[in-house]
Amino acid sequence: MKRFLKHIVIGLLIFAGVNLILVVIYEYPVYKAIKNKTHRNYLKWNDIHTNKNSYDLVIIGSSRAYTAYNPVVIDSALQLKSYNMGTSSQDIVESYYTLKEVFDYQKPKYVVFDVFFPCSDDLLDYYQIFSNASFFESNKRKLELVTQGYGSSGVLNYTIPLVKYRNYIKQDIGGLFSDNKTPRKEDNWIRGYLNDSSVVSKEKIEHFNPISNYQNVNFDASRFQTYLKKIKDLAEANNAQLICLRSPYPPSRLALSETDDEKLYFEEHIDPKTAVFYDLNSYKTVEKYIYTDQDFADYHHPNISGAKKASAQLVDIIKAKL
Amino acid sequence: MLFNSLEFFVFLPIVFALYWGIGSKHIKAQNLLIALASYVFYGWWDWRFLSLILFSSLVDYSIGRALGKAEKTSKRKVLLWISICVNLGFLGFFKYYNFFIDSLVSSFTFFGSELSINTLNIILPVGISFYTFQTLSYTIDVYNKKLEPTNNFVGFMAFVSFFPQLVAGPIERATNLLPQFSVKRNFDYNRAVDGLRQVLWGLFKKVVIADNCAKYANMIFNNHTEYNGSTLLLGAFFFAFQIYGDFSGYSDIAIGISRLFGFNLKRNFAFPYFSRDIAEFWRRWHISLSTWFRDYLYIPLGGSRGGTKMKVRNTFIIFIVSGFWHGANWTFIVWGALNAIYFLPLLLANKNRVNTNLVAEGRYLPNLKELGQMAITFFITLIAWVFFRADNVGHAFDYLKGTFNASLFSWVEIFPTTILGLLAIFLVIEWLGRSYEYAIENVDFMKRPVRWSFYIALIILMFAFTGEEQEFIYFQF
Repeated sequence: MKRFLKHIVIGLLIFAGVNLILVVIYEYPVYKAIKNKTHRNYLKWNDIHTNKNSYDLVIIGSSRAYTAYNPVVIDSALQLKSYNMGTSSQDIVESYYTLKEVFDYQKPKYVVFDVFFPCSDDLLDYYQIFSNASFFESNKRKLELVTQGYGSSGVLNYTIPLVKYRNYIKQDIGGLFSDNKTPRKEDNWIRGYLNDSSVVSKEKIEHFNPISNYQNVNFDASRFQTYLKKIKDLAEANNAQLICLRSPYPPSRLALSETDDEKLYFEEHIDPKTAVFYDLNSYKTVEKYIYTDQDFADYHHPNISGAKKASAQLVDIIKAKL
Repeated sequence: MLFNSLEFFVFLPIVFALYWGIGSKHIKAQNLLIALASYVFYGWWDWRFLSLILFSSLVDYSIGRALGKAEKTSKRKVLLWISICVNLGFLGFFKYYNFFIDSLVSSFTFFGSELSINTLNIILPVGISFYTFQTLSYTIDVYNKKLEPTNNFVGFMAFVSFFPQLVAGPIERATNLLPQFSVKRNFDYNRAVDGLRQVLWGLFKKVVIADNCAKYANMIFNNHTEYNGSTLLLGAFFFAFQIYGDFSGYSDIAIGISRLFGFNLKRNFAFPYFSRDIAEFWRRWHISLSTWFRDYLYIPLGGSRGGTKMKVRNTFIIFIVSGFWHGANWTFIVWGALNAIYFLPLLLANKNRVNTNLVAEGRYLPNLKELGQMAITFFITLIAWVFFRADNVGHAFDYLKGTFNASLFSWVEIFPTTILGLLAIFLVIEWLGRSYEYAIENVDFMKRPVRWSFYIALIILMFAFTGEEQEFIYFQF
C-alpha cells in the first residue's frame, strides 16, 4: 500500500508539474503583453481605473460588443464619453462583476449590455473569464466571481490550469490534424472598440451556419434571468439606464436561421420593467440601418462599416430615450 | 454519480481510504462500507429508488435461503418463479409498461377500434436492467444448485449494489462475484496499478472518444435529411465508436475500480470491432449480457441442439430479447432481429465458431482476407447500429434510404479532422493491445519515463476534450 500511495503522490506531483508548464505556456504571452502594454484587457482596465469618473456610457458584452459599438461615433453624436468594456466570450455573470468593478471607478449614465446567448451556455471559456477578472483591482471581487459567480466549476477551473486551458489545448491539438491556420490580424483598438477593416469572404458566406439559439446551446435561462436582474438592479442603484441590445448578424446567416432567439426570449421571458431589448437587425427598417454581408468581418463580428451602423442605431435608441 | 464527475473524484478516494483503513481482517465491515457507499452512489441520482434495490436484495436473499432449505422440486420451482416475477415485474413496470400500452393502443387504432388506456409518467430507475439480471442470476444458480445460498445479508447487499458495476455492468454472475465478498481481500500493488491503468483507459474512451463522436453522431442523426449518403455513413461510424467508447469505457472503469478494492470482475468487451464475423462480434461485445442470455435463456430453450427450426427459433428469441432488454422501443427489437439474421447463416452452416482465435495472431498487420472480413463485419454492424440509434423504425429506414443512394459516392459534408485523427490513434492502440484484457494493459514494456509520459498525454487529452459531457448511454438501459 505504501508503494502505491507513494506512486499516487508522485503522480499528483507530476500532474501539478504539467499544470505549471501549461501556466508558463499559456500565461507567458499574457505576461509579455502586459509588460509591453499591449494586452487588450489590461489596457481597458487601465483606462477605467486611471481615468476616474470619465465615462458616461459603458458597453459590456462579448467580442460581438467590442466589434459593434464605436465610441467615437457614439460620442460625436451624443456629446458623451463612452467606453467599450466588451471582452472575449464574456458571460453574463462576468458582465455583472465587470460592471460592479466599473461602477467603483466610473459614474456612467448609460450601461449598454450586448446580449449573446452562446457565451452564457454551459461551455464557458474560463480562460477568458479569469483573464478579464484578473485585472479587477478588488481581490474580494475576484474571489466573489470565482466562488459565487461560478461555484464549484469556477473553483475547479481556477485551481486546475489543465481544465481552464482545455479549449486552447484542444485547439492546439486540433491544429496538428489541420492546416487551417489563419494569420493573426493587427489589432486597432479605440477606447475598447476593435476597429476591424476586414470583410468576410464570399467563400465563408457560402459556408455560414444558422445562428445558434438558446435551444441548441444548453442555455441556462434561470441563471441568465437572475444575473440580468442583478445587472439591472446594479445599474439602477448607480443611477444608470440599462439598454439591452443584440448586435447585428450578417443577413445571409439570418436567412438561414429559423429562430430569432434573443429577441423571442426577451419578448417571452423578460419583464420590460427589468430590461428593454433592441435587436439591431430589426430595429427600424430604414435604409441606413440595413446591413449587408459586407458589413461583417466574419460570421458574426461587424467590421468598421457594420460598427458604424450599429453605433448609429445605439445613438438613435439613446436619443429616443432622452 | 457519474464516473467522470467531480463528485466521483471526491467519493472514490474517500471510500478507498476508508475501505483499506478498516483492514482486510474485517471483511464484514468492509462489505458494510461497500454496501453503504454503493447506496450513496446510487442515491445520488434519486434516493427514492434505493428502496427498489433494497427490496430486490431482500426478496432474492430470502428466496435463496428458502431454496437452500426446500427439497421438493415443486416448492423450489414456486420460489424460483416468485423471484423471476418480482424482478421482471419491477423491470416490466418501470421499463416496459408504457411501451406495451402504446403498442396496444396503436394496434387497436390500426384495426379501426379505439382503446383508451393512459400511459403513466414513470421514471426509469438507472441501471435497473443490470442489477435485476445480476440478482436473478443468484436465484437461478441457487435453484440449479450451482451455488450455495448465502447467509450473509450484508455481503449479498454489497453484491447486488456493488457501485463500480451497479448501473451499467458488467452484469456479474453470483458464482463469480458473491464468493469474493466472503473472502479476505488483500491489497495487491500490481492489481491496484493495473486497475488504475484500466480506469484511465476507460475514461479516455468515454471522454475523448465517445463524447466527441457523440457530438457528430447526434448532429448527423438529428438532421439526417440535410446530409448526403457519405455523411450519413460517417454519422453511423461515429455512433459505432460512441457506443463502443461509452460502454466499453464504462466497463473498463468498473473493472479497474473493482480491482482497486481487491475484486475481479469479468471481462465485458474484447475488441469487438476487430471481429471477422458476426458470431465473433457477439463473443466480444457486451460479453456479460450475451453469456447471461446464453446460460439462462438460450440453453434452457434447447440451444442449438435441436433441428433447424429450433435453432432458428432460439436464435431469434435470444437476439430479440437481447434487443428488447436495451429498451422499450421497436428500434431495439429490429436491431436484435437484424443481428439474428446476420448470425443465422453462420449457425446453420455450423461456421459460428470458426474465428475463435485472435485476429492476425503474432503479426502486426492482418492479411487481406482478415481485413476484408473485419470490414464486412464492421459494415453490417454499422447498419444495425442505425436502428439502435434511431428515434423510431421509420427514422432508421429514412436514414438508410438517405445513405444508400448515389450521394454515397460524393464527398462527406462534415470532416472533423481532430476527432478522426484521435480515432485513428485510438484504433492503432487498440489493435496493438488486442491480445490483452484491455488495450494498454501491457505498457510495462515501456521504460518508466515513456510510460508516465504516455499516461500524462492521455490525461491531457482527457482534460482538453472534456466539456460536452454526455451521460453514459447504457445508463438508460
